[in-house]
Amino acid sequence: MTVDRRAFFKLAGLAVAAVELPVLGAARAHVDPPEEQPLKGRRWAMVVDLAACHRYPGCTRCMDACRREHNVPSIPDRKHEVKWIWEDSFGHAFPAQGSPYLDSELAGKPVLLLCNHCDNPPCVRVCPTQATWKREDGVVMMDWHRCIGCRYCIAACPYGSRSFNWVDPRPYIKTLNPDFPTRTKGVVEKCNLCEERLAEGRIPACVEACPAGALHFGDLADPESPVRQLLESRFAVRRKPGLGTQPQVYYLV
Amino acid sequence: MAEAPPATRQPLILGEKSLGQVSRDILSLVEGGATPLWWTAFLISFTVLMIGAAAITYQIATGVGTWGLNKTVGWAFDITNFVFWIGIGHAGTLISAVLYLLRQRWRTSVNRSAEAMTLFAVLCAGLFPVIHLGRPWFAYWMAPYPNTRGSLWINFRSPLVWDFFAISTYLTISFLFWYFGMIPDLATLATRAKSRLRRRLAGFLSFGWSGSTSTWLRYETVYLLLAGLATPLVVSVHTIVSWDFATALIPGWHSTIFPPYFVTGAIFSGFAMVLTLLLIARKTMGLEDYITVRHVDAMCKILIATGGIVGFSYLIEVFTALYSGDPYEQFAVVNRAFGPYAWAYWLVIACNVVAPQLLWFKKLRHNMLVVWIISIFINVGMWFERFVIIVTSLHRDFVPSSWAMYRPTIIEIATLAGTFGLFFTCFLLFARFVPVIAISEVKGVLGPGHRHEEAGS
Repeated sequence: MTVDRRAFFKLAGLAVAAVELPVLGAARAHVDPPEEQPLKGRRWAMVVDLAACHRYPGCTRCMDACRREHNVPSIPDRKHEVKWIWEDSFGHAFPAQGSPYLDSELAGKPVLLLCNHCDNPPCVRVCPTQATWKREDGVVMMDWHRCIGCRYCIAACPYGSRSFNWVDPRPYIKTLNPDFPTRTKGVVEKCNLCEERLAEGRIPACVEACPAGALHFGDLADPESPVRQLLESRFAVRRKPGLGTQPQVYYLV
Repeated sequence: MAEAPPATRQPLILGEKSLGQVSRDILSLVEGGATPLWWTAFLISFTVLMIGAAAITYQIATGVGTWGLNKTVGWAFDITNFVFWIGIGHAGTLISAVLYLLRQRWRTSVNRSAEAMTLFAVLCAGLFPVIHLGRPWFAYWMAPYPNTRGSLWINFRSPLVWDFFAISTYLTISFLFWYFGMIPDLATLATRAKSRLRRRLAGFLSFGWSGSTSTWLRYETVYLLLAGLATPLVVSVHTIVSWDFATALIPGWHSTIFPPYFVTGAIFSGFAMVLTLLLIARKTMGLEDYITVRHVDAMCKILIATGGIVGFSYLIEVFTALYSGDPYEQFAVVNRAFGPYAWAYWLVIACNVVAPQLLWFKKLRHNMLVVWIISIFINVGMWFERFVIIVTSLHRDFVPSSWAMYRPTIIEIATLAGTFGLFFTCFLLFARFVPVIAISEVKGVLGPGHRHEEAGS
């Protein structure tokens, strides 16, 4: 078979078009404006109502939602696990708040844990490359592209809120969310307070998924916000306040 | 004020050497060619180095998951080795700079090799912060350089960035000091060289040293200035390394005692390593007249002093925790001494606190075998000290559910072995190609000159 010049260009043109057109289409789809305006806040915070949470024993919907939303890998080897939001017993989460008589009531009950998005985050101070930083609205951000993987933030965080990708996490992602980036081996990751959803005017995935209404998200700087009202009307604790980190996840007990 | 007659004082160099004899003795390995012993040692070191290189290559290709680390113990062998090697380097700077400024003339026999040791140890140390990164190929992001990433810049509040500057400064100054001190000896090497190539090369490296009085004068001035520059580094480098820990909130790390504790620990471990190496070199290279019992004796005394401070720091750590009333601090101390890694803690106490006490006895200080064995004990003890500080503090942190154990993998052990391979390969090359003892300085303390100075002071 002989291919003359005209036929060659025709074929080549078709091939390029076949590759390019879907890409162009996708790019156009991507720049479509979000349906809603971004959520704006001056000091985002989370309030966890433990009593409400405990009405649904064994429920893992918030954690599942986070996993799906952020492509968090499910690595079976505990040594290499990656956690954004997880649960632990009250006694472990609040060792200082315990009393010898607490056991029967609360100590063994699960508490939802996540990044505290501290006002004075010790992880931000130690990161050599500014891969992690605190946003104006209080979200402690993490840029996986800027992280070189020194793990200093993991050592600095007193809450165990940060995980490291010891191995390539991609094979362990159960359902891939194409709208959120995956990570490579060798970078640190953690809860981002769903900043990508806030930008689209949506509340964090865990809050949305909670069937008990135990998770509240809002702007503490706004006196009318539900989180502010909750904290004014009910007693809340924070994890290890003595360390001076000013955590912004509050637990109603 | 008349001093004791110099004749009663033991000379620094034994054997009534002539100037030419000194050059011949010290340059025997450089000029005589490699001995079978040298080749054996070199091949072993180089093989171990290659094993380490293979381990590092595998680890970078696969991920840090090949190490025994986990979410709780995110630093262990890597940072232990880093602090260990950086510490080893400290004796070199102390001997070359501080003892020079203090006019401790016994340092002349040991400063060259101690400086070389510093240099090679810092090379080994510098390797770990790079390879322990999840993405070591981006290690250069630690450096502040103009980039196209807009406002992105390094974080000057991070102790790791301070570390980067501290270590690169240290490496640069150590290299300058070592090289600069070698210039007159390179000239000696050039004049004595039989082959044209060696003469040209050594002549080039000595910057065409002429040996005139004005050259010597300038040389001495620059050397003094460099010594002044290097002296603060003895304190600064390990202080900054200790801040890596002290600025974190972890109990067992978050302590103001860390800088002095680390600096003395570094000098302690550095001198132990100098002794380990020099006692071998002195025996195998026939340098007993140059590195004398008096030198070993002086270094042993430094070990007693620094080891005492290190032991005191261990006590103060316990005291601070008990006195603070902070349950987390107290738990960290109890966990160190009686937790799952208690064996390592007591090994540290035995090696760093108990073993050096033997050096109070002059008889033992003058027994080279005993000193050598004690120096090995201290090397081991100081490695485990860093291991205990890092691992026992991390493995039981604030969140009891994430408590974990750490155990090194074969890859980590091979990497540590590999750095020893690198260190000894460099040291053997150094002993083979440049004079291990500062010839010109030794000539300066041979006899009349030395006595003259004593009388004048």
